[in-house]
Amino acid sequence: MIKIEDIHFKYEGVYTALRGVSIQIDQGERVAIVGTNGAGKTTLVKHMNGLLRPQRGHVFLKDRDTKHMSVAEIARTVGLVFQSPDHQLFLDSVEKEVVFGLRNLGYSAKEAEERCHNTLSRLGLEGFADRSPFTLSGGERKRVALASVLATEPKVLALDEPTIGQDAKQKKLLAELLSEMNDAGCTVVVVTHDIEFVVEFFPRTVAMSGGLIVGDGKTESLLSNEAIIDLSSLSAPQTTLAASALRKKFPEVSNRITSVSDLEEIIVRLVGGL
Amino acid sequence: MPLIEFADFSFKYVGADSLALKRINLTINEGEYVVITGPSGCGKTTLCRAINGLVPHFHRGYIGGNVIIDGINTRTSSVANLSSIAGMVFQNPSNQLVTLNVERELAFGPENLGVDPAEITNRINEIVELLFLENLLEKHPHEMSGGEQQRVALAATLAMKPQILVADEPTSNLDPKNAEHILEIISSLNKRGMTVVLIEHRLDLVAQDATRIVLMNAGRIVADGKPREILVDDICQEIGVGIPKATQVYKGLKKRGIQLPSVPLSGEELAYIVQEAVLK
Amino acid sequence: MSFLEVFQYTKQDSVIHQLDPRSKMVLAITSAAISLMFLNIVPLLIILLCQIPILFLAKSVRRWLRSMKGLSFLLIFIIVFNTLLSTVANPFSYSVALTIRLIALMTSFSIFFLTVHPDELSQAMIQMRIRFEFAFAMSMAMRYVPTLAHEAYSIMDAQKARGVELDKGNLLKRIRNMIPIIVPLIIVSIRRALSVAESMESRAFGVSQNRTYLKRLEFQRRDWIVAFFSIAVLLYLIYFLSFFGLPDWMLWGFSF
Ligand SMILES: Nc1ncnc2c1ncn2[C@@H]1O[C@H](COP(=O)(O)OP(=O)(O)OP(=O)(O)O)[C@@H](O)[C@H]1O
Ligand SMILES: Nc1ncnc2c1ncn2[C@@H]1O[C@H](COP(=O)(O)OP(=O)(O)OP(=O)(O)O)[C@@H](O)[C@H]1O
Ligand SMILES: [Mg+2]
Ligand SMILES: [Mg+2]
Repeated sequence: MIKIEDIHFKYEGVYTALRGVSIQIDQGERVAIVGTNGAGKTTLVKHMNGLLRPQRGHVFLKDRDTKHMSVAEIARTVGLVFQSPDHQLFLDSVEKEVVFGLRNLGYSAKEAEERCHNTLSRLGLEGFADRSPFTLSGGERKRVALASVLATEPKVLALDEPTIGQDAKQKKLLAELLSEMNDAGCTVVVVTHDIEFVVEFFPRTVAMSGGLIVGDGKTESLLSNEAIIDLSSLSAPQTTLAASALRKKFPEVSNRITSVSDLEEIIVRLVGGL
Repeated sequence: MPLIEFADFSFKYVGADSLALKRINLTINEGEYVVITGPSGCGKTTLCRAINGLVPHFHRGYIGGNVIIDGINTRTSSVANLSSIAGMVFQNPSNQLVTLNVERELAFGPENLGVDPAEITNRINEIVELLFLENLLEKHPHEMSGGEQQRVALAATLAMKPQILVADEPTSNLDPKNAEHILEIISSLNKRGMTVVLIEHRLDLVAQDATRIVLMNAGRIVADGKPREILVDDICQEIGVGIPKATQVYKGLKKRGIQLPSVPLSGEELAYIVQEAVLK
Repeated sequence: MSFLEVFQYTKQDSVIHQLDPRSKMVLAITSAAISLMFLNIVPLLIILLCQIPILFLAKSVRRWLRSMKGLSFLLIFIIVFNTLLSTVANPFSYSVALTIRLIALMTSFSIFFLTVHPDELSQAMIQMRIRFEFAFAMSMAMRYVPTLAHEAYSIMDAQKARGVELDKGNLLKRIRNMIPIIVPLIIVSIRRALSVAESMESRAFGVSQNRTYLKRLEFQRRDWIVAFFSIAVLLYLIYFLSFFGLPDWMLWGFSF
């Protein structure tokens, strides 16, 4: 679906943000991009929808080089939610904001409105349609930014830090919506620091550091690789930490534990085995 | 005398149809580390804005009750004055940098307070080292990544050496290592006497450092107490607040009839508690 | 908008950048005044030729050239229109001189704005006993030129990312495409200004009468030299012009 070949990027020709990144994402995949602050994650996803153009290398979308496509053209396939909602929201009502993208993609006014309300309620924003995005709380604003892109149901969703400012319930709502869209064939790429969110919903993880990809593979194995964890400033989820601490005393504890229920199971067995 | 005191404080933003804060009563003493949490939109940011007077002086609206900071009623003081007592780090980093490079940014607060230039230089050097800002000093706010901006924003507030640090999700854009690092710094400042009020959704990051958790929902304080008491309370799930995975395991085991001797807040703690229990 | 670049600070490590903003202000004002004293092609060209080495010293020639290129259309326009409409004896000659004067004037000020950091400017103003709030507002305004541009770009980005075709079509269409940017730009800029004000107040802005300054500007020997030299040249030229007038070769011009 998206193929990125050895791209390099410097801001203003001075600040190196990407120094040779290649990655291939297939249709229907769910990929999480993690890594240190300033690793170039945002820069990378902005290449996926053409807001930034590689200074060297190529970005292919369905085998087409995006060099000759406008951002608007790419936007029909790739929807990007920005890291800071303040850089994305510019209209004075939530509804206008969500309808804006839909109308651009050619939906009728009625259909756009319907989709808008549908998405808003899925993200716990019912009742906010007429509010100005500027008077919302931080988390609410982020969700409006998400809604404005999710409503258009693009083939590829690229979300920069979607869980910022969200409580557990909202994260779950978001994850459910993403899973549904993914089941319907949408490719989901997420940049995030939220390891637990990654572990729960993303089978594949790409780790970045210093403008390079330092790891790419199954989330489970990536998160148990200490070198990669170190390089990309990650921290393992609490469950994994607990399991590996337990393994030191009890060798029977497997090293593949990431979920709460697995861990509970193990502990029941350990304690019950007395 | 308490450092921060909310007495029956209510607030409604101009144009909003409901109260953002409803009769808040909250007392915070010097040296506490209070984590404020609750679902998105419950009024956490509004509560913090009331501490340094942004509510009601900057964000106007209906106001009831009083907030007293270090003996000063916020109604009769100015934001600038209150800010020298309570330093605020905002939720969104991209809007809070006011100068053109990081060095100026760090100097801005102390300059306003009339701190001696030599002392400002000292503070800058100290903070640059503490928060790893060396290679950002010459950068323009627009030229930094989200996490970098957030670190600078915190640094700029710390440079003012406030008595109270109010931080609104100061780690939301940070990678786990940086987040841990920043929280360690905040915790060590707290141990040296600074009062900390911190908003956070990810309780696994802060539960161990905090001396107290205040849980909010729909403009009200619904629970207030020690982390280990609050986090096992079912109210967390009810209102949609995420608790640390280790604590979840504790609660899961309890449902299955296994009572661990104490409440774990981190993976290591959980492992330790289980070991002790098994080996006994 | 590239012609605005000559008035926008660029970070460089150059002799000119290191000068005190106040001495550069003297330099800019005197050289602007000198350009205003002449209306003949030759002396104006000489003035321009004297400015170019300064641009070289400031390592900004390329930027200057780029902006001039961006302006060339406007400049030619001025020449053509003035030639056609002017009622003076040699309209073409006159319009060329006017244009060179315009370039010289712009260059005088661009040397200033290209090399003075907005923060330095406000510091200079403060030390010239201008109220801090005003000086700061001035530097905020300067800060906001690039921010506004940045804001415009980020709104365009946001719109493009949601499917607006901004960079397609003929000139007219592109201009029409700008309309949906302008309103949000105003809204967003006001909001941004408000949240910056919010952060400034939260950082004790305006609390103390005795605000201190991390960096004070010091007039160095080189600043005195620049300032004295600029004023000396200006005075000498005034003296020369009023007692002797321009020599004939300097009065040369086209005969149409
Ligand atoms: N507009 C810009 N001008 C100059 N440098 C920039 C700009 N934007 C980002 N950078 C730099 O490029 C590097 C990569 O930035 P990027 O925003 O891609 O990081 P990131 O991985 O998204 O980090 P974070 O997790 O903090 O958001 C950083 O070192 C940053 O300072
Ligand atoms: N300037 C404003 N004008 C009107 N209503 C506002 C304004 N700011 C916030 N609100 C509303 O007040 C309520 C509380 O907002 P607040 O920002 O305090 O929430 P929060 O707990 O910080 O949420 P989050 O975790 O999403 O940041 C929300 O419902 C929000 O929509
Ligand atoms: Mg980023
Ligand atoms: Mg908030």
